[in-house]
Amino acid sequence: MMVNSFSQFESPVFLTIPLILLALILPWAFYPSPSPRWLSNRTLTLQNWFIGRFAKQLLASSTPKVHLWATLLVSLMLYIISLNLLGMLPYTFTPTTQLSMNMGLAVPLWLATVLVGFRNQPTLSLAHLLPEGTPTLLVPVLIIIETISLLIRPFALGVRLTANLTAGHLLIQLIATATLAFMSIMPAIATLTSILLLLLTLLEIAVAMIQAYVFVLLLSLYLQENS
Amino acid sequence: MAGHDHGSQHQFTGFAKYFNSYTIIGRRNYVLATYGSILALVLFFKLKPKKMPVTEK
Repeated sequence: MMVNSFSQFESPVFLTIPLILLALILPWAFYPSPSPRWLSNRTLTLQNWFIGRFAKQLLASSTPKVHLWATLLVSLMLYIISLNLLGMLPYTFTPTTQLSMNMGLAVPLWLATVLVGFRNQPTLSLAHLLPEGTPTLLVPVLIIIETISLLIRPFALGVRLTANLTAGHLLIQLIATATLAFMSIMPAIATLTSILLLLLTLLEIAVAMIQAYVFVLLLSLYLQENS
Repeated sequence: MAGHDHGSQHQFTGFAKYFNSYTIIGRRNYVLATYGSILALVLFFKLKPKKMPVTEK
């Protein structure tokens, strides 16, 4: 067993029980359950306000057919943002650094948007594969290029989320290790690296939220194209 | 997303009536023709009988 920089991304297993299941269920424990009362408490009101605000912002310029996906998209956004932010805590495991998990989210959702498009309006979905006004000679080339770009979308979605989270965590670990190493040898350099670490942590918190939003936004855009 | 192109300003005749990059139907037909051609090429090379090597007597 060799401990390297990527050891932090190994899926934790304790007595043959995969602990990733705990990590995946954990965000559910942090959200208050809906209340049957007419006026709910402040936490629930704040949560509902945020959910409503986000849903309106995401789906403002879309057709009513896309609004059917509001529950799925908003809950997906909350889930990914919770997993990412909980992963910023020390010694926690971030499930969204696992490519398998992100592909498990990206591929079925992308495929659903494509199948919805082909089922509801097959002519328009096929016509989208050729940009309007293409010169005749370029038609076959562009159709092939557009098909490849369509098929590459789920990989881009999954890999984007994985790479951003993994790179961020890796950078934090490297700079934190450097700060610790410099502390006894060169305290001045250690101060500089600790300031860098603080700025990087703030950046990673922003990236964690932005990447969750980008994932859901792109899915909603793919859906709008196909509805 | 831009609205659908109903192609009312384009008056195509002949081949261009069915295959053009301005109307929805024209674009769809181009896409289907391209996919059909690729499929035909693939099938052609897959089903092509392989030449047996000539053995010397």
